[in-house]
Amino acid sequence: MSAAPHILVIDDEPQILRALRTILGERKFRVSTASRGEEGLALAAAQPPDVIILDLGLPDISGLEVCARLREWSQVPIIVLSAREGELDKVAALDRGADDYLTKPFGIEELQARLRVALRHSAQAQGPRSTVVTAGPLRIDLAAHAVTRDGAEVKLTATEFRLLAYLAGNAGRVLTHQSILSHVWGDPQMDQVEYLRVYMRQLRKKLEADPSQPLYLLTEPGVGYRFMADA
Amino acid sequence: MSAASLRLSLAGLRWALGLLACALATGVLVLARDQLTTPTVAVLYLVPVGLSASLWGLLAGVVASVSAFLFFNFFFFPPYFTLQVHAPQDILDLVVFLGVAIFVSQVVGRARASQAAAQAREREAVQLHELGMALARLSTEAGIAQVLAESLHAGLAAAGVEVAVWPKGNEAGQLVRAPAEAAPGTAPQFVVPLLTPRGELGEVRIWRTARLEANEQRLLQTFVGQGSLALEQARTQQAAVRTQVLEESDRLKSALLSSVSHELRTPLASIQAAVTSLRSGAVDWAAPARQDLLAMVEEEVVHLNRLVGNLLDMSRIEAGALKPQRQWNILADIVEGTLTRLRHAAEQHQITVDVPDDLPLVPVDHVLLDQVLTNLVGNSLKYAPAGTTIHIRARRQDERTLAVQVRNQGPPVPAEHLDHIFDKFYRVRAADRVTGTGLGLSICKGIVEAHGGRIWAENQPDGFALNFTLPLEWEGHPAPRVPLEMEA
Repeated sequence: MSAAPHILVIDDEPQILRALRTILGERKFRVSTASRGEEGLALAAAQPPDVIILDLGLPDISGLEVCARLREWSQVPIIVLSAREGELDKVAALDRGADDYLTKPFGIEELQARLRVALRHSAQAQGPRSTVVTAGPLRIDLAAHAVTRDGAEVKLTATEFRLLAYLAGNAGRVLTHQSILSHVWGDPQMDQVEYLRVYMRQLRKKLEADPSQPLYLLTEPGVGYRFMADA
Repeated sequence: MSAASLRLSLAGLRWALGLLACALATGVLVLARDQLTTPTVAVLYLVPVGLSASLWGLLAGVVASVSAFLFFNFFFFPPYFTLQVHAPQDILDLVVFLGVAIFVSQVVGRARASQAAAQAREREAVQLHELGMALARLSTEAGIAQVLAESLHAGLAAAGVEVAVWPKGNEAGQLVRAPAEAAPGTAPQFVVPLLTPRGELGEVRIWRTARLEANEQRLLQTFVGQGSLALEQARTQQAAVRTQVLEESDRLKSALLSSVSHELRTPLASIQAAVTSLRSGAVDWAAPARQDLLAMVEEEVVHLNRLVGNLLDMSRIEAGALKPQRQWNILADIVEGTLTRLRHAAEQHQITVDVPDDLPLVPVDHVLLDQVLTNLVGNSLKYAPAGTTIHIRARRQDERTLAVQVRNQGPPVPAEHLDHIFDKFYRVRAADRVTGTGLGLSICKGIVEAHGGRIWAENQPDGFALNFTLPLEWEGHPAPRVPLEMEA
């Protein structure tokens, strides 16, 4: 990857663009901005960015459409900005190919954390993928189907392992209920979130030191789940 | 054959009854003819004539008169068993008899007709009175339309009656039928508009093949008039209620605006003071004061964000736009998530959680329920003294209900306030300097009720408790059970 990661911000609020340009510029990112969807798409094609930050409410075309059209030709990570009560919008954006979301207003630490995950994914997409994910005391070997905690083997059922493997393989990213259900249960029509709830709870009991305050298997209320691996 | 057409054919047969009565009388008189003189027979023939007129109406009377005249001539005037008459005196007798018979039947028939008319009017008056009583009890358009349709259906012996009320403003239109089954495919025979001085409110459609008699037309007019009047009154009443609601919401909006301006200004004032002093250079870049000011700005921004969020939630609840995105959830997951986020705010308190692992799944919107718990626990954090314990407890109340309680060791709330603390902007103590919008608990109420639950507050021997219930069924289905698999 070249020295300064290139971030494209698509948002129609001039103050947000101004703030992000200043803040991200300070942190050695190269920032370009667009205030309309079409303009953003054109910019993304002309100068492919490393990450796109996309507001869902744009004046010309919806952020969801921008997502879908980007995904026709690009795998660049997309972080969606959305309003607080917009769980359905977030889910829709994630299902259309967005990688992550941030709820407005957000702190800069949060944004940086999301950017780090996104940049790592865009780097991984180019290089060979590691098959071992570590998170604190957990070590998940995706190829060998082996999970250890503090070196001791953790016994998982087949479904529990598939669930953990899907989350860990996408560490740092939020995965929607629907995407998890269809990947792990192998049925695109599967919509019984209760299965996910029960299996997530089982996983936490086996993997988390304090299952009631999970550090690695995080819930994104109304949206899905996220696995936090070591940076 | 329907009741109406049966009645119709009976009316057509009435005259035949007059004929039959005379034939019977003739039979009796012929058997007794040796004991009877001709004048006696003439008088006795008036009996079936009078009876026919009084029982079956004028036409039957006249038919009876003429047939009595013919029978009389045939059987009792020489030459017998012919309709010929020889003696001029006999002709005169017979003509006089016919005249008297017709006169009698007219007198009797008219008396019967006026009695029938009086009875009909009485029936009409009773029906009208009943309609009036029924309408007076109603204030909904649907109810009025229904009563009107049923009354017309019964009163006019119609095959079907439809009452249509046109939609107006926010009011949806109405379409009711009597009897309730689908309208006949044909066009109605009669359509009468529901008219009021302020225009046409709708129309009445009637399916009835027979034409309307004068009295039935009168009945129809009166009923439709009464119905229109009742509809008009209902509309006026609804408008009055709406006005009242608008006034109330106006009052609440003013309260909201004054509360909000105050609540918004306070953090804005702090932020402005902090930022201007940071920019002025009056505060040394390295000084701890700088960190303090920045921390203050951040706190106030978080507070402002929460405030705006509360206002948005409240307006969604008020607008009826709060539609829970229900999913089957594990309550313990939600509670744990809430408490994890409140960890910092709750540093001064202990929180215990008693949510059994074997509770059934609950059909709730995760985000909204999280907000209810956040507000309820937040309320306890605000009012219960530092160092005390907050208990969160969930139990299955019955087959279909889950009960959740957030209990603290804070001061009791006077009984008269208990029902009101879920009202918007309600403060138990006017001089309460606790920050907030006065919206937190009313948002909880809105969310719990949108889920079909109930929320209430109660004082406990050692503190104060906020309770709410949630249905365990979703669209009539109990919680699903998820089969667990064995480890490999």
